[in-house]
Amino acid sequence: MHNTAHASAPSQPKHPLDTNLKVDRNILGMALFIGSESVFFLLLILAYVNFHNQYGTGAMAAWHLDVVKTGIFSIALFASSGTLWLAERAHAKQSGMAFFWMIVTIGLGTTFIAGQGMEYAELIRENLTISRDMFGSTFFTLTGFHGFHVIVGLILLSIALWIMARGKKQHEITEVGLTCVSMYWHFVDVVWVAVFSVVYLWRFIK
Amino acid sequence: MTQGALEHSHKPVNWVAEVPEYKGILSWITSIDHKQLGLLYIMSAFGFLIVGALLGLTIRMQLMFPMAHVVNQGQYNQIFTMHGTTMVFFVGMPLLFGFAVYLTPLMIGARDMAFPRLNSFGYWVYIFGAIMLFFSFLAGGGPEAGWFAYPPLSEKGYLFNSGQNYWALSLFVTGLGSVATGINLIVTILTMRAPGMTLKRVPLFVWMILMDAFLVTFSLPALNAALVMILFDRILNTHFFDATVGGSPLLWQHFFWFFGHPEVYILILPGWGAVSEVIPVFSRKLLFGAGIMAASTVAITFLSFGVWVHHMFTTGLGTAPLYIFAVTSLLIAVPTGIKVWSWLATMWGGKLRFSVSMLHAMAFLIQFTIGGLSGVGFAVIPIDWQLTDSYFVVAHFHYVLVGGMLFSLISGVYYWYPKATGRMMSETLGLWQFWLFVIGFNGTFFVMHILGILGMPRRVWTYPVGMPGWAELNFFSSCCSIILVGSLLLFVYNLIWSFYHGKTAGPNPWNAWTLEWLADSPPIAENFERVPVVRSRRPLWDLEFGSGGDGDGEGQHA
Amino acid sequence: MDIKNADLTSIFNIATTQNKYLNDLHFFTGAVCLVILFIVTGLLITIVAKFRTPESDDGSEPKQTSGNVRLEIIWTAIPLAIVIVLGVLTAIVMVVVNPAVGSKKPDLIVIGHQWWWEYQYPKYGVTTANEFCLPVDKNYLVEVLAADVNHSFWVPAFGQKMDAIPGHPNYLWLHPTKKGLFLGTCSEYCGAQHGLMRIMANVVSPQDFETWIEAQKSSAPPSDDPAAARGKVAFNSATCVQCHHVAADAEAKALIGPDLSHIAQRKTLGAGVLENNTENLTKWMQNPQQFKPGVYMPNMRLTDDQAHDIAVYLESLK
Repeated sequence: MHNTAHASAPSQPKHPLDTNLKVDRNILGMALFIGSESVFFLLLILAYVNFHNQYGTGAMAAWHLDVVKTGIFSIALFASSGTLWLAERAHAKQSGMAFFWMIVTIGLGTTFIAGQGMEYAELIRENLTISRDMFGSTFFTLTGFHGFHVIVGLILLSIALWIMARGKKQHEITEVGLTCVSMYWHFVDVVWVAVFSVVYLWRFIK
Repeated sequence: MTQGALEHSHKPVNWVAEVPEYKGILSWITSIDHKQLGLLYIMSAFGFLIVGALLGLTIRMQLMFPMAHVVNQGQYNQIFTMHGTTMVFFVGMPLLFGFAVYLTPLMIGARDMAFPRLNSFGYWVYIFGAIMLFFSFLAGGGPEAGWFAYPPLSEKGYLFNSGQNYWALSLFVTGLGSVATGINLIVTILTMRAPGMTLKRVPLFVWMILMDAFLVTFSLPALNAALVMILFDRILNTHFFDATVGGSPLLWQHFFWFFGHPEVYILILPGWGAVSEVIPVFSRKLLFGAGIMAASTVAITFLSFGVWVHHMFTTGLGTAPLYIFAVTSLLIAVPTGIKVWSWLATMWGGKLRFSVSMLHAMAFLIQFTIGGLSGVGFAVIPIDWQLTDSYFVVAHFHYVLVGGMLFSLISGVYYWYPKATGRMMSETLGLWQFWLFVIGFNGTFFVMHILGILGMPRRVWTYPVGMPGWAELNFFSSCCSIILVGSLLLFVYNLIWSFYHGKTAGPNPWNAWTLEWLADSPPIAENFERVPVVRSRRPLWDLEFGSGGDGDGEGQHA
Repeated sequence: MDIKNADLTSIFNIATTQNKYLNDLHFFTGAVCLVILFIVTGLLITIVAKFRTPESDDGSEPKQTSGNVRLEIIWTAIPLAIVIVLGVLTAIVMVVVNPAVGSKKPDLIVIGHQWWWEYQYPKYGVTTANEFCLPVDKNYLVEVLAADVNHSFWVPAFGQKMDAIPGHPNYLWLHPTKKGLFLGTCSEYCGAQHGLMRIMANVVSPQDFETWIEAQKSSAPPSDDPAAARGKVAFNSATCVQCHHVAADAEAKALIGPDLSHIAQRKTLGAGVLENNTENLTKWMQNPQQFKPGVYMPNMRLTDDQAHDIAVYLESLK
């Protein structure tokens, strides 16, 4: 029996006694990576929460934040998950709309980043910098790393788009490849749900 | 060098230096082959072992006499910081990754890891991180806040040269490589096993690596979060750990040890795996209670995320919070202890062969028990209150890390060296090395239990004249440390000597039973021409005897 | 350093009621661990003796026993039981040795500095450095603070250590049961001179303690020695007063360095680095870095005469 477990080979016909996990290894790898990054973000969120209640700098400083404006940009990010899902569906049907939805996704994601950038500029203009106090320290670190992950996601989406654009004669993006990128992008979205809730919405609970 | 399945040579090669795919240094630098990367990891780790051992020897020379001036206090503090950091991150981790990536595909009947390029990324990022950290000595001074760098001392205000920045950045970078390798190992083990090899039939080494990889994947990011915060404090003037502005030095301790405790299990699990392969083979009996061995490791993996505060018992967190962690720390001793009974029961009733590999495994049993028992002592919080941060804890962790991890992995080296190189290691040199290692190690570290009892704190660059027992015990320990370092040099010499002069090994010199012994020594590029269907944990036993790979079936419940 | 007269530095030297409980726990746990180690070692030796492959071996494989459920249950249950017992003892001793502080005010405040110890007695208004006194047979509540980085206060004969963490006050109970000089060390790496940040605790009778407190509260009487008078002038002008407090000196009120009001009473200088006498104090002042490199006291470039005079002055501050 020949067991060629070649990394880049297309899926081999499975041996009848194969007992491996029936999931594509790239998807499993991406899932584990997302789990790992979740721990990273968890600790950054815990740091924010730990200092949140400090007199004078915690919850008070969060009042500087413009929930509505950031909320609108957040909707752009959440919508981009929706458009990415539409892109995946179109790709599965080999429809040309996949291309279109990918561009919309990237556009929405870029809008979110632009919104973050504007918010940062606003805060820094008001002298709320990363080094000012505990709120500045934890806020910029947490949202900054999230923004960094969004930018990486935009790069991944752009690469996926470029592979799609090269057409049928060149490498096509596989369903697995697109799934992995979309898993990452949805993860970045879910993290933002958590971050937005903790940083922007928390004060409405008290 | 391409890895095409069609390119392997059919000419039998029985020395790793003659493998055609390994010719030329470029083939090593650009390799994505798990065997080459595994060997690179291991060779680099042993190189750094000598560096770390020399740092340790300098520590012992400085402490040989009270109020000595072999090095000054600033140099000493950098030396002990680098000793710990090097041993954990540039010796321990790469050594276990080297074993893991080399052996896992061979043991599960695969051709390579799931992500060969990611495998290479993990290795080179480690080398880059290590070089970057040692570079700090040329850039104004090395780190000197200890291997766990507690703030406020590690903040810019107290240590203002860039050494601490290098420390944080290089560990951050190395940590990325570790996570990549952890993910790679999990995916490999879960998706690339030979037909018939259920997860209950993987060799114990592979099971340990699987658990280890989960620990790596989910604990290293915690370290990276902490490192980001200390870097930001130092470079961007944030205040995560600055109590004067509302920050919390304790937060660092929580975050670091949330990583740090799983880290020590990361370091020991592969050694447990190695010993679980070596002891059965040299007792001619399968592992006793393999199912419980595997299940207890799962328990340890989960529990290890719930004990971190036992590194903080003296920080005054309150009786109830501390007690919870005493309970979890005491509990984790139970699955750990039963492994020792399993190994002993494996040997009982067997036919023992005292190869150098087996001798190291036996020394491991006693030494790991000593280290584990002193660890249980520390779980009893009031004992920890007395003895933490003293030489007693230095004794404890060297017993588990050197007496446990290093002895067990060196046992693995003697065992698997023939597979990787095609040559046997010298048993004569090995016997000399073993006895010097045992004498040197135990002599150096056993007396540290007593020094701790007599009140000597750790991380002190010197100590006063006249403290009862301190001068005598330190002198003795330092003399033995010379023997210890000598034994490590002899070990490295044996590796090199055997490479050129060792006897040809053949595929299965130990008459062992797991799949890697089916491959050639050294294996061909694709590892196997054909892989049998696996029907037990010991496929080669089944091939020889037809059945019985899982023993008499008594006590099989896992 | 006058440690010849010190009581034995050892965790087994029981100098407080707290340490009595700790010792009982040490011995119980130690005995359990030794028994387990004895069993493991004994088994290994037995195994080596009984099961080594004889020369005449026929090469057959022995019986392949894969497990034994009863044995595995036993060797899981017994350690679990031991661990439960240890857990119960842990809880008892923790609560007895370190009961809740409640609203009680501390009797002694220990403040860790890089690389010396400050001791305050809030109920008496006394502040001193590096060497302190405790009355025997009284349960003292100690508050442990840090002025800069993490430190840890540990006198082995007294029992547990307690970390000093900036922003996080900690508490410790000490009930000394015998008189003597007890030595300890800083036990959390705190930088360059962590190794030479010694603790010296004098446990004395309650009457002697009162005497000591009275002496600490009052200003030291001025000395007749003209060198001391010159020394005081030099002390005030050579910027010593920028860091050091001396009760008898109206100009010396800074609280940055160790309090020197009664320095002459101390056995050592520099938290255990040098024996305290005029000659050593002179040498220390002229170049502190020689004896404790990295210490924050700068070399003030004193002349020999200045240093000698200041030393005489300081040695008059009993």
